[in-house]
Amino acid sequence: MNVASSSPVSPTAARAEHPAPSAKPPFLGFGLGLRAQHYDEILSGDPPIDWFEVISENYMLPGGQPLRILDRIRARYPVVMHGVSLSIASTAPPNFEYLAALRDLARRVEPQWISDHLCWTGVHGKNLHDLLPFPYTREALDHVVNRVQLVQDYLGRAIVLENVSTYVQFNNSEMTEWEFLAELSRRSGCWLLFDVNNVYVSAFNHGYDPKAFLEGIPADRVVQFHMAGHSHMGTHIIDTHDHPVCEDVWELYAASLKRFGWVSTIIERDDHIPPLEEILVEVERTREIANRILPSPATQAR
Amino acid sequence: MSDLARQQSDFQRGILTGDDSILAEIPDSQKENRATLFGVYRHAYSSRLVEAMGNDHKLLHIYLGDEMFDAMGHAYVAANPSQHPNLRWFSSSLPDFLRANEPYSKHPVLSDLAALEKALNDAFDAQDAPIIGVADMAGFAPEAWADLTFRTHPSAVRLDLSTNASVVWLALKGGDEPPDPVRLEEPRRLLVWRQDVSPVFRELGVEEAMMWDEAARGIPFGVLCSMLATYADPDSAAARGAGYLHGWVTAGLLAGVSGGD
Repeated sequence: MNVASSSPVSPTAARAEHPAPSAKPPFLGFGLGLRAQHYDEILSGDPPIDWFEVISENYMLPGGQPLRILDRIRARYPVVMHGVSLSIASTAPPNFEYLAALRDLARRVEPQWISDHLCWTGVHGKNLHDLLPFPYTREALDHVVNRVQLVQDYLGRAIVLENVSTYVQFNNSEMTEWEFLAELSRRSGCWLLFDVNNVYVSAFNHGYDPKAFLEGIPADRVVQFHMAGHSHMGTHIIDTHDHPVCEDVWELYAASLKRFGWVSTIIERDDHIPPLEEILVEVERTREIANRILPSPATQAR
Repeated sequence: MSDLARQQSDFQRGILTGDDSILAEIPDSQKENRATLFGVYRHAYSSRLVEAMGNDHKLLHIYLGDEMFDAMGHAYVAANPSQHPNLRWFSSSLPDFLRANEPYSKHPVLSDLAALEKALNDAFDAQDAPIIGVADMAGFAPEAWADLTFRTHPSAVRLDLSTNASVVWLALKGGDEPPDPVRLEEPRRLLVWRQDVSPVFRELGVEEAMMWDEAARGIPFGVLCSMLATYADPDSAAARGAGYLHGWVTAGLLAGVSGGD
């Protein structure tokens, strides 16, 4: 049962039930998370990468080389901004200084879309620089819907939110993560970034079938996939993003394609970053699997 | 306080202080107990921040070695919880921390080394600005020079070190054995800035350092030369001032020059 759909509608939720219309972001193809280690190879060569996702905070800087590089990348490739500090589920007051810097960067980059994570990163003026979990309650849903509306109003565009890997659940959760995401997207108008690895990690850690997550997400709300690696600890999995994508996650990717169709995809590596050539093998595999499984994108109604 | 706010408060306290009260609200998983699972967040918190410090202070890390850097890093994390959404600024207070806290304060080369690395990091992504060239200076008539004022490049900062940390820095950067730390009688006066995209530094003599500091405050060239006249031969003060100025222009240290009006 979708607990959220039967919940009483609060004034906050009522206002959010009518999100501003926002065109669905386009299909960009098969890309890569931009990392400084690959700047030279990308700019001096012509690697077969359709688009780049950049970590917003890495460029929320006064000036210097990072922004110059980003301008050059942007001149050649579609770019998406992906943040880690929006802290959309935090009960702390909204950080308008952060939002202003994000908006300024977006004006410079003109990204295809702006994404962050469904999580919180701190309260009481502190930032833990982690993607922290929270209970999936009606109270939390109302709160996050309200925050998403505020951010979308501020940025003047619908944002995209990603499911994170979690290691704990809460006794007072009233719905599943996928029910929460589905309701959040429906009520706020935000789009969804479906991190295939994070679904796999959380499903293992919490003992549910990742296919249930897959089936619970509304297909028309997903605009991006993340593919990444993780560290298996035996009793739990930690989302380290420092390994190649494992075979189980490739299988879940194939299942995700069957459910969601053509979705802009990137390989995301945050640590132990290998040479570009090595990562391109994974980018090519995302493309090859999609080409094998799906009909031509031109013939698919979007 | 809402239930969500209270839970986030407890969750954060559990990470920062080791308080276990949040565990009462977390179930065990089928394969692992809740303390271990929550421990993933506790461990990730400090290790992520210390790793970020290591990225910002690579040479201090080499100088201290893994074990001491790790201990120092965890002490800094405990004393300075991050208050900024961008990890880029987390290490900003490290020189002050090392200057103020034992055992690090007993070894001032550590805070000096951290201050130099911080200044170079800050220069790397400081605000952009156009730089003036020799041709821009040539446009001013000789009689206008006394009233010229200068705008220094936003990346340029002065740094006074009380130790030989800059020599230690150079040795570590070159992969050489660093010299023993030395506390200096006179501070070593450095100028740190960005040339094109690369942060650089050089040492200034006492006279040039004075002129730079005053020029950065907007003191006009004529007054700067009068000040130089009190440092050494008054007759060559204007020539010395012009020489320093030429060096700054060719090094890309000046973002603007204005005539008196």
